[in-house]
Amino acid sequence: MTIFVIGYYALLLAASCAAAYFNKRAAFMLLFSLTLVSFVVGIIGGAGALYAIAVAAGILAMMAMVSYAFREFLILLAGKETAKELRTAPLTAAFGMFIIFTYVIAGIFAPWIAPHGEAEVISSAFAPADANMLLGADQLGRDMFSRLVYGTRNSVGLSLTATIGAFVLGAGAGLLAATKGGWFDQLMGRLADVIMSIPSLIFALLMLSIFGPSMPVIIVAVAIIYAPRVFRLTRAVAGNVVVMDYIEAAKLRGEGTGYLIRREILPNSTAPLIAEFGLEFCFVFLLVAGLSFLGLGIQPPTADWGSMVRENATLISFGEITPLIPAAAIALLTVAVNFVVDWMLHRSSGLKE
Amino acid sequence: MSPKKEVLLKIRNLKIQGYSDETWVDIIKGVDLTLHRGEVMGLIGESGAGKSTIGAAAMGYARDGTRITEDSSIEFDGIELTTSTESERRALRGSRIAYVAQSAAASFNPAHKIIDQHTEAPLHYRLRKRTEAQEDAMDLYERLRLPNPHEIGFRYPHQVSGGQLQRAMTAMAMSCRPDLIIFDEPTTALDVTTQIEVLAAIRDIVDQFNTAALYITHDLAVVAQMADTIKVLLKGNEVEEAPTEEMLSNPKEDYTKSLWAVRSFESPQRTREGRECLISVKNVDAAYASGPKILDDVSFDIYEGMTVAVVGESGSGKSTTARVITGLLPPQKGEVLFKGEPFPPDYRNRNKEQLRQCQMIYQMADTALNPKVRISEIIGRPAQFYSGLKGTALKARVDELLDLIELEPSKYYNRFPPELSGGQKQRIGIARALAAEPSFIVCDEVTSALDQLVAEGILRLLDRLQNELNLAYMFITHDLATVRSIADEVIVMQHGKVVEQGPKDQMFKPPHHPYTDLLLSSVPEMDPNWLTTLLEERGVDNIGDAAAANIDPDDAKIAP
Repeated sequence: MTIFVIGYYALLLAASCAAAYFNKRAAFMLLFSLTLVSFVVGIIGGAGALYAIAVAAGILAMMAMVSYAFREFLILLAGKETAKELRTAPLTAAFGMFIIFTYVIAGIFAPWIAPHGEAEVISSAFAPADANMLLGADQLGRDMFSRLVYGTRNSVGLSLTATIGAFVLGAGAGLLAATKGGWFDQLMGRLADVIMSIPSLIFALLMLSIFGPSMPVIIVAVAIIYAPRVFRLTRAVAGNVVVMDYIEAAKLRGEGTGYLIRREILPNSTAPLIAEFGLEFCFVFLLVAGLSFLGLGIQPPTADWGSMVRENATLISFGEITPLIPAAAIALLTVAVNFVVDWMLHRSSGLKE
Repeated sequence: MSPKKEVLLKIRNLKIQGYSDETWVDIIKGVDLTLHRGEVMGLIGESGAGKSTIGAAAMGYARDGTRITEDSSIEFDGIELTTSTESERRALRGSRIAYVAQSAAASFNPAHKIIDQHTEAPLHYRLRKRTEAQEDAMDLYERLRLPNPHEIGFRYPHQVSGGQLQRAMTAMAMSCRPDLIIFDEPTTALDVTTQIEVLAAIRDIVDQFNTAALYITHDLAVVAQMADTIKVLLKGNEVEEAPTEEMLSNPKEDYTKSLWAVRSFESPQRTREGRECLISVKNVDAAYASGPKILDDVSFDIYEGMTVAVVGESGSGKSTTARVITGLLPPQKGEVLFKGEPFPPDYRNRNKEQLRQCQMIYQMADTALNPKVRISEIIGRPAQFYSGLKGTALKARVDELLDLIELEPSKYYNRFPPELSGGQKQRIGIARALAAEPSFIVCDEVTSALDQLVAEGILRLLDRLQNELNLAYMFITHDLATVRSIADEVIVMQHGKVVEQGPKDQMFKPPHHPYTDLLLSSVPEMDPNWLTTLLEERGVDNIGDAAAANIDPDDAKIAP
């Protein structure tokens, strides 16, 4: 019995008793079931397993605290209306916003944050982590951490541009189709069907092998692939708005299509569109990473998370986690974005707990 | 209310709270209610008074986001509903307490036949076998005077008219022979002619089975026909309760008196003399796409500064006429003249000046105002669009318009429509129409979605604006009380034809066209014996749709 084990159980039991005393049902159930599980785990796995549980709980608690503090921080910074909305955000959404915020900072200030250059070879291939290189070196001896930071810029920047492109194309066409109706609606609808009928990865590979793998081609190809989904959603949402009396009133006033879309329809369709933006961003991100992994995305030596996974893939057979780090970065961002999107969907759909 | 009768429902100190802005707010603030077996109690009040909430609470049900406080007591036939379990309460619903909702069309499942939905409850509670339940359903349909009682149940809800569906819903509520039925505004969405059939049917069946009922409505004349006792509610509080006769003849509280006095407003009738003809509809035929003809040779004139009321039941072509005038539906034949000049049939071909002259106020203020646009822009946009006002001039104009509709400019300038009440929204709709500085406004059922007190305020406002700004109104309505208070001239439409038109004072005096006579006689009156008398006079088969079907628009006028 080490002091750690005694302290571990003492803390858990004290917390459970306190929760029970103050009638906090949910907290008590959580703490006490954790205590019971710990008895079993402690017997089977020994102090090491308990240590792992303690670390995991610690990390979770840290994340929760960061999220909570970050939400309060945003509430203080934001205006009155936004602050009211932010107060409704669950901790998961705050966590998502914190991660996105971190990524944005890393992307914008990459040259200042990264200790080494993007393509700078500073040590031997696959060098282990040391004080100089936080995450070790990649297959050419470049600093993994620096490349990860630069990769934020490229991967996130590319996906963001492509998603915005898809939204401009899709939402624009969807709003016009809903407003105009008639043959234009039909034409756009069938065009979307045609694009959707081609498997997305095949289409991207085709475009990239015809026009060569450059940034603009990737952006345009991905935007075209994802535009039809946005088109369908926008048309459906706007379709419910255009039948309202206030649209009729605006039409009778003699307003043009531009005003109708901008001032009357768009404000009533933003909530689902923003939620969709978050989801599409994840899909686009994964597609771009997939393309990079296949070697058709962003070209070396530009750092990109997808290609970083591929380049270091051999290391996985030696039990090193280096290739998983960029993959984890992708996963973390996707999860974070989805946390935020969930919250927004929740709000726009008016669902309750 | 005879004291010998057994008490069926006893509600004591009912408090219901709703969750808003992170606190619990009282919606119902301690209401007591006692209902005996076979008694019909009318609950009346404005919207937001808590009528429907009390109705739901009588079934031990609190809507999402609301809760019944612990010190309330709801006792149904000796069972305390606030402490009983959810499954106990569910066992009562449908079998011993039934509910008839306002919109039967929305309450029936469109994917199942009416009779299958009817027999669901008796089968679920194992009260009857399927065939027995179906026979019983047909029997109930017959009692409720539905046409083809043996066949109508096998139709789907959309194949049946609104009034019939409402009666089918009442039959469904009766399927388990409940002790208590809650009617939540069952006729509010119906035309006067249809309403009368439903009222007669409901009253008969409640009598026949000696069912107790809570009848929720905001229409006093209706409740006077239906209820034995009336309870008046205001903002979650009880104002007073008394037997119907006593309540009508001798209301005690001021609020009740004000409800009773609502229909007193009447604007002096204007005449055509010295006025110019503004809008002239000439021999218009219209139809949607390739559908049947909706308007058949419609002609009438609207003079400047006058109110022309267009009445008729739904489907008679009132709104279609408005759509033809505004240019939303170009007519197949005929034309619309504005000050003698032809108006382009399609609004897209009209110039700004022509569009400006003709504005519209909608029935549903909720859908007529963009919820995501500030009041300042909703009202300011037409002023900006037509008159090119900008900056401080625009702000001054919006303030002026808000003043005109009796809303405080500084308070409402930056608000969004969902933050306003129904009456205020309708006022904003009026301000938007006025902002264009029109000479003619189409008012499409502008008061039918509002409570009577609020509606009266809107009518007074419209009348005042008409005098100040010399506006002409085309006032579409199915409520003859509204016609009586605001119209100068009346047009009666049936099946897309104008059956009668003329100045108001002539229209309300015989001889009438038979259809006008039917409409006039179908308007409920405050007299609690009105329905009984009417049924005796006209006979059960000569009211409502059945009677309307026998009338041809070309029939000659009759004197009663």
